[in-house]
Amino acid sequence: MDLGLLAPEISLAATAVAVILLDLFVERKGALAIVSVIGLMVSAAFTIAMFGDPAQVSFNGTLAVDSFALFFKLLFLGIAALVILASVDYVSKFERFQGEYHALILLSALGMLLMATATELITIYVSLELASISLYILAGFLKDPKSTESSIKYLLLGATASAVLLYGMALVFGSTGTTQLGEITQQVQALGAQGVADNPALVLGIILLIAGFGFKIAAVPFQMWVPDVYEGAPTPIVAYLSVGSKAAGFAVILRVFSSAFGLPDWLSLDWGMVFAVLAAIGMTVGNVSALPQTNIKRMFGYSSIAQAGYLMVGLAAMGVASAGETIGQSTILFFLLSYSLANLGAFIAIIAITNKIDSDLIEDFSGLFKRSPLLTLGLTLCLISLIGMPPAAGFMAKFYIFGGAAQNGLLWLVIIAVLNSVVSAFYYLRVVKVMWLGEPASVEKVPSSGALRVALTITCLGVLFVGILPGFAMKAAELAAKMFGI
Amino acid sequence: MVIPNIAVDAVRHLGAVAPDWPGHPWWHWVVFTLINIVFILVMIIGVIYIERRAIAWFAARTGPNRTGPFGLLQAIADAIKILLKEFITPMNADKIVFWIAPAVVFAPVIMIFAVVPFMNGAMLADLNIGILFVVAISSISTVGVFMAGWSSSNKYSMIGAMRLVASVISYEIPVVLALAGVVLIAGSLSLNDIVLAQQTVPFILVQPLGFFLLFVGGCAEINRSPFDLMEADSELVAGFHTEYSGMKFAMYYLGEYGEAVVMATIISTLFLGGWQWPFLPGWLWLILKIFLVFFTMVWTRATLPRVRIDQLMAVAWKFLFPLALINLLVTALQVLAGWPEDLLWLMGIVNYVLLGVLILLWSRMYKVGWGRIEV
Amino acid sequence: MAFDIAFWLLAIVSVVAALAVVTLRNIFRAALSLVLCFITVAGLYVTLSADFLAAVQILVYVGAISILLILGIMLTRDVQLGSPTNKLRFPAFLAAIVFFGTVAWAVLNTTWGISPQGPLEPTTATLAGKLFGENGYILTVEIAAVLLLAAILGAIVLVREK
Repeated sequence: MDLGLLAPEISLAATAVAVILLDLFVERKGALAIVSVIGLMVSAAFTIAMFGDPAQVSFNGTLAVDSFALFFKLLFLGIAALVILASVDYVSKFERFQGEYHALILLSALGMLLMATATELITIYVSLELASISLYILAGFLKDPKSTESSIKYLLLGATASAVLLYGMALVFGSTGTTQLGEITQQVQALGAQGVADNPALVLGIILLIAGFGFKIAAVPFQMWVPDVYEGAPTPIVAYLSVGSKAAGFAVILRVFSSAFGLPDWLSLDWGMVFAVLAAIGMTVGNVSALPQTNIKRMFGYSSIAQAGYLMVGLAAMGVASAGETIGQSTILFFLLSYSLANLGAFIAIIAITNKIDSDLIEDFSGLFKRSPLLTLGLTLCLISLIGMPPAAGFMAKFYIFGGAAQNGLLWLVIIAVLNSVVSAFYYLRVVKVMWLGEPASVEKVPSSGALRVALTITCLGVLFVGILPGFAMKAAELAAKMFGI
Repeated sequence: MVIPNIAVDAVRHLGAVAPDWPGHPWWHWVVFTLINIVFILVMIIGVIYIERRAIAWFAARTGPNRTGPFGLLQAIADAIKILLKEFITPMNADKIVFWIAPAVVFAPVIMIFAVVPFMNGAMLADLNIGILFVVAISSISTVGVFMAGWSSSNKYSMIGAMRLVASVISYEIPVVLALAGVVLIAGSLSLNDIVLAQQTVPFILVQPLGFFLLFVGGCAEINRSPFDLMEADSELVAGFHTEYSGMKFAMYYLGEYGEAVVMATIISTLFLGGWQWPFLPGWLWLILKIFLVFFTMVWTRATLPRVRIDQLMAVAWKFLFPLALINLLVTALQVLAGWPEDLLWLMGIVNYVLLGVLILLWSRMYKVGWGRIEV
Repeated sequence: MAFDIAFWLLAIVSVVAALAVVTLRNIFRAALSLVLCFITVAGLYVTLSADFLAAVQILVYVGAISILLILGIMLTRDVQLGSPTNKLRFPAFLAAIVFFGTVAWAVLNTTWGISPQGPLEPTTATLAGKLFGENGYILTVEIAAVLLLAAILGAIVLVREK
């Protein structure tokens, strides 16, 4: 047992508790956000300090601290910090429960951190629930009918997905006799092709695992909750959910599927094809449904389904690629980084805008360029990145992830993905068009607070940096993915 | 009371020592099932007699003294009277649920005695989860109360049931935490092992805070005064069993006193050394201890006025719960330091001082306004 | 033999009770069937020599969760309407049947590994070691504690007025 390995998690949990306690005594609630961000930075500092150390397994094999986990931990910590910065204005309107709001974001981040680092099915499940339950609550935080509806829908579908996931884990455990990912690989390899064919429960377990994790990343056909939840939940939480929850889901899928079911090539080929089909359907459904949307939060909901589809192209490549090759993993990590920056940036801009105009409708964004040129510029940059056009990060991300798939013989999938990117340009650019060319409804400026400006600046600079100089981020992603190689 | 104890002795002499689960001679189960049923019924009659005479005594009355010697047969006469009464089912009642409810309340009471040792190993089943079994099984009767309250289609029944459930759920926590302290010292969940661990000193001398918590929480869980809000006759007619009459009412009556016997038995077994004591046979000591604990409950009932519902919840969450946590922490540290083996006397003194300090401290906080419940 | 009888008795009752939960119109009776189902599952644990798990199942599911469930039902308006169904009843039924068929087929066609070890006796000490010991799932237990903290926070936030 080595508590030092848990330093980022422990400091994060301590920060969450400290925020709840501070809420009782502190009059100026703004301090809570500052404490939360400081706590996240401390946690990030611990994480960075561990970078470069050799991978370690601890707590009876329930925990692995490796470069992969550290990469994701930093990503989650960054996301959580940006979300807290983005919600400063939003939260200041609350009369009560500001401490709980921040604490829940921190606890959810803690769950995500643990998801990235857990290497044992039960621990993965409990961490996933920690992340999800905090998000269910946050989705219903406004307590108006729409927010409550979104929270209940999220909770019910999430609970069903958890049940499916647990069922899959139980079947995998029943067939292999262990919940440790490393030992599952050994068992599966020992079974051999014939053994697995004689063992339909294991196959069913893997399918149910895909379904359960598919819910987390909003993959088709488990995407029904996305638009309603995105529309009703508080906007900063939507940002958090679209980025953090998805990245955490991918972290777990990468970990489980490359270390437990990744080794015999015939097996990974099978689930790789499943992911390929899911990816193709997901992209198409997401993009086509996003086209007619008038509410920007709903549009982003569908767009996030499509983005999950692009990401699953990487999963397909990972499955199809021969063992030891990590191109699928590293491109997914890079894509997640750029997607997180761009999506968060877009949401931060949307938060700033909707705070003022008090509407989520795209038509009300008309003529924003004349009212707030910098915000519009930031939002446009992020939208361009989401389409995948240079010089933004999204271009490089798509380039890498589609390239990796094409190298592994998934050309048909890449063609579908590129066509989908063209379709997606329509609805992203429509927002841009409305903002730049539309007539403003009033001449009033759109003010934004310091915290929002800082957050938006960070994300936009990040998008540009990763887009123009992708080498650094790519190197980090490759390093993180390398631990899956042999 | 004579018959079951002869049977206990008989079984003991036949060699039914230290039974385990499973793998027993079949007659072991039969004999002990019978013993348990007879024991609980006789004990219920006993405690009803004690309650009526003692309350009368506290109120400077005589109490029942006509039926049989010293009125000892009064409870039997009452039982016959109740059995002969008509059983009325309300028109809007959910009949099936209404009929099953009394059994659901009463059955767990009998089941609990399966793990209570009358002598060393003289018990139906020496489960290695003993005390956990007691806690788990006793929680089932709450469902029965709920069934009664709901199916009567009577608002007083329903409010009574909801009050009971609210209090049972709240008091369950300090009670279980108080039990955990004893389990830590004894190093086993089995009631037989716990009694054996009290060979030298009964745990009330080492775990006073645990005893106090179990006694108060137990009184609330079996809804005895001063916590009998769920059947406060000035507010709710008779609580959840308002609509019951005849035999089914008798089942609740028995169930209620049966729960009191169970609680007194658990307290005697865990804190007063169960059947351990010199001179007299063990089962007699157990019975005497049960009566003693029950008499103390009657005493509190006669002394204290009924609390309000918000006070009831406040006592559970703001008084007993933190104390239970502190007790568990302190006990765990003491066990870790090895005090139960070497420094038992010191542990007793420290814990008694702790009890005094904590109770004084918390009563002060209550005066400052911590007893208030914010709605 | 005795275990076979116990198993079939408990299994049949639990399946019937579980079916009653979803088919009964009266929502209170459905909740009671759920309690029965929980109790029979606890009985099944006993036949598997998992006595600790059985007691915890009763304590947690019967003593706490179903009670809160029923309390929730009582505090809900329009309970008398029961649980209405809608036009998706048939597709839902079909989906459930297909899922059940798949799972049943998969489970029946798998050769399950059977542990050569006999049941543990007593179970409590080993369980404690596994849950809280150095070489156990202590981390998972601690995460569950944090999870409960989040759930409590959520309950307070969602229930109290603004």
